[in-house]
Amino acid sequence: MTSIRADRLAGAAALVCAATLLAGCGGSGGSGAAAPSGPTAEVKIALSDAGCEPTPASVPAGPVKFSITNSGSAKVTEAELQKDGKILGEKESLTPGLSGDFTLRLEGGGAYSIYCPGGAKDTWTFTVTGGVPSNPADTSLAVATKGYRDYIVAEVDQLVPATKTFTDAVRAGDMAKAKAAFAPARVHYESVEPVAESFGDIDPDVDARIDDVKDPSQWTGFHRIEKALWVDNSLAGMTPIADKLDADVNTLKSKVATETYQPAQLANGAGDLLTEVSTSKVTGEEDRYSHTDLWDFQANIDGARKCFELLKPALAAKNPDLAQQLEARFTDVVSGLSQYKKGSGDNAGYVDYSTVPQDQRRKLADAVNALAEPLSKVAGQVV
Amino acid sequence: MTISSDRANGPRLSRRGLLGGAAGLGLAGVAGAGLVGCAGQPDPATGTVPFYGANQAGVDTDVQDRLAFAAFDVTSTSRADLIDMLKTWTAAAEAMTRGVMVPGESNAGEVPPADTGETIGLPPSQLTVTIGFGPSLFDQRFGLAAHRPAAFSALPALPGEILDPNRTGGDIGIQACANDPAVAFHAVRNLARLGKGTAVTRWTQLGFGRTASTGTDQQTERNLMGFKDGTRNIKSDDRNALEQFVWVGDEAAQPWLEGGSYLVSRRIRIFVEAWDRDRLSDQEAVFGREKYTGAPLTGKAEFDVPDFAAKGPDGTTTIADDAHIRLAAFENNDGLRILRRGYSFTDGIDERTGDLDAGLFFIAYMKDPAQFVTLQRKLGSQDALNEYIRHVGSGLFACPTGVPDATSYWGKQLFES
Repeated sequence: MTSIRADRLAGAAALVCAATLLAGCGGSGGSGAAAPSGPTAEVKIALSDAGCEPTPASVPAGPVKFSITNSGSAKVTEAELQKDGKILGEKESLTPGLSGDFTLRLEGGGAYSIYCPGGAKDTWTFTVTGGVPSNPADTSLAVATKGYRDYIVAEVDQLVPATKTFTDAVRAGDMAKAKAAFAPARVHYESVEPVAESFGDIDPDVDARIDDVKDPSQWTGFHRIEKALWVDNSLAGMTPIADKLDADVNTLKSKVATETYQPAQLANGAGDLLTEVSTSKVTGEEDRYSHTDLWDFQANIDGARKCFELLKPALAAKNPDLAQQLEARFTDVVSGLSQYKKGSGDNAGYVDYSTVPQDQRRKLADAVNALAEPLSKVAGQVV
Repeated sequence: MTISSDRANGPRLSRRGLLGGAAGLGLAGVAGAGLVGCAGQPDPATGTVPFYGANQAGVDTDVQDRLAFAAFDVTSTSRADLIDMLKTWTAAAEAMTRGVMVPGESNAGEVPPADTGETIGLPPSQLTVTIGFGPSLFDQRFGLAAHRPAAFSALPALPGEILDPNRTGGDIGIQACANDPAVAFHAVRNLARLGKGTAVTRWTQLGFGRTASTGTDQQTERNLMGFKDGTRNIKSDDRNALEQFVWVGDEAAQPWLEGGSYLVSRRIRIFVEAWDRDRLSDQEAVFGREKYTGAPLTGKAEFDVPDFAAKGPDGTTTIADDAHIRLAAFENNDGLRILRRGYSFTDGIDERTGDLDAGLFFIAYMKDPAQFVTLQRKLGSQDALNEYIRHVGSGLFACPTGVPDATSYWGKQLFES
């Protein structure tokens, strides 16, 4: 699990790089998160069980230093600055008594948010006044597709070691460790699944369920090992499957390194992810042995939301009502899902899906369907 | 004019093209809609039942062969969302009743078609789409409480019912009837899709054989018990009975409902296996009619008036005291009548018993829900039929007045008065 943590940090850094290309922190010379100059505004954030209220909650555009302190909360140990769902800066692992800071230049005026998972209120409004409005060039679809490429690469960069943590445990015959590493590895696959599916055999080899394969003796991938862990209670014979899984995700990594995308692929990929959610996660079919479906659910939604966020500037320019509607419905889905979160920090995750009763699953499905219909119209607006 | 002939002119015609063509050519269905002041009866040439009119179609319209019914719950708490959905639904329903595609883009490669497409090439098939609002819609969510008629609240618990909550209630009910099952289902499916984000489907029911007739020249169909059903139903040309028992007037003091009606739906499970094992004489005694001719046991032909006083040689009434037609007859209910519009259904098997899950999806229209309550209190407790039936689902919807023209929408007076 520690290695996953380290990888998450690396991934977050990659996302910040991607984010600087986008509206929100765009400005002259693309200096989004570059070293500050001139008078620096200071914003204090005191982490507590209640959340991460920024003080002041509004600053003028320019360099801003965020000073984060944790005087005693075990639940809230990090804070992120986000704009349109993208992490622009963050400070993690601030256990009680620790403090830290990060500084960046916020040129784009408007609404930001401070996010602190685990807080009673985990999202706080933060506003930048004045500033340079988003450069129209930033809304170009080229930026979106480049951003998507960066996102995919960053996710797969995390998938490879997260999978290895899982497969190492499988090879070592450590059932408990393998079970714990199963869902955290899968999330980096589920978030990019439409892309992975575009590479021939990779998806069937990595993610097939038993009903997807012609010959069960040739069944490989995550779900084969899932069955060994949760049903067979034996990892006998799983080492070759684990080795192949590592090889397959490395193949995926090499393929996405050179892949480029079209705007419609982002829009359609988002729709594909929601179809995944509504046909196999809500039903509990995806992770039928481990009941970790909600992790995959979250990852699918994250991947879809990423596509939307990247397309949003272009979409908002053309059809602001649709953009606004989608934002609201993504929020509905995320808040519906959040009530099933459990744990925090390294142990953060979701409840066993078999404990979620049918009427509550239905509510999740309704929210996903409400999002999927308008989302299906996005491709027509951005092509 | 059907979609198929439009399509024949060019497969890439846009929806706008379809509409433009329809208007420009003065198609029969469209022209008919413009001329008719009261929705209801089909144009024999086109099979189109006019959507616009003083009353909603689908109530006194000659009963079509097939039913698709859906109850919806409104999930949005925004009044504006609800109104938007009703406007969208009205436009879509009106188009579908003319046999043209749901408005919107259906020919752009990069987006899903606005219309789901399964009825392309099919005629309008006398499709009617009728909307009703459930009592639950008049709670605090949408500010409609002041518009709730005094007569309108959830049905009380009634004898003869064990209701499944998953087949009962709903904020909105949609009745789609057509002579083609694909056309009826298409209507419900497309409205459900258009409502996503504002409403979710609570339950649906397909019906496959009409069990009632409202047209004077319509043959009386049989229900799954093999008996003619609806022989004494209110017919569409009986304007007096419609005014007296079906259409709501100004007594409700709710202008949005004047010219509307209350719809009661009951999913009535028939234990067909048990019924089919009952001897013919008992089946006839249960109904009070002969099975094959449909004649009352006191008469010779279907439409003979039953003689409820007649007694046999043993001194007992010929039509038994617990016979279905005796208990349901208006003569024995202070003249009370309702307009029935039910359909047979089957939904696979009852997993608990292996028996067919089949029966009658009872639909009735009336000017006051109390009409049904009065009848069911009596039937549910005394009817000999009860040995073979159970009410397992229920719906009550207030169907607003008709949509006069394209500037209006379903329920407009409810929101704009």
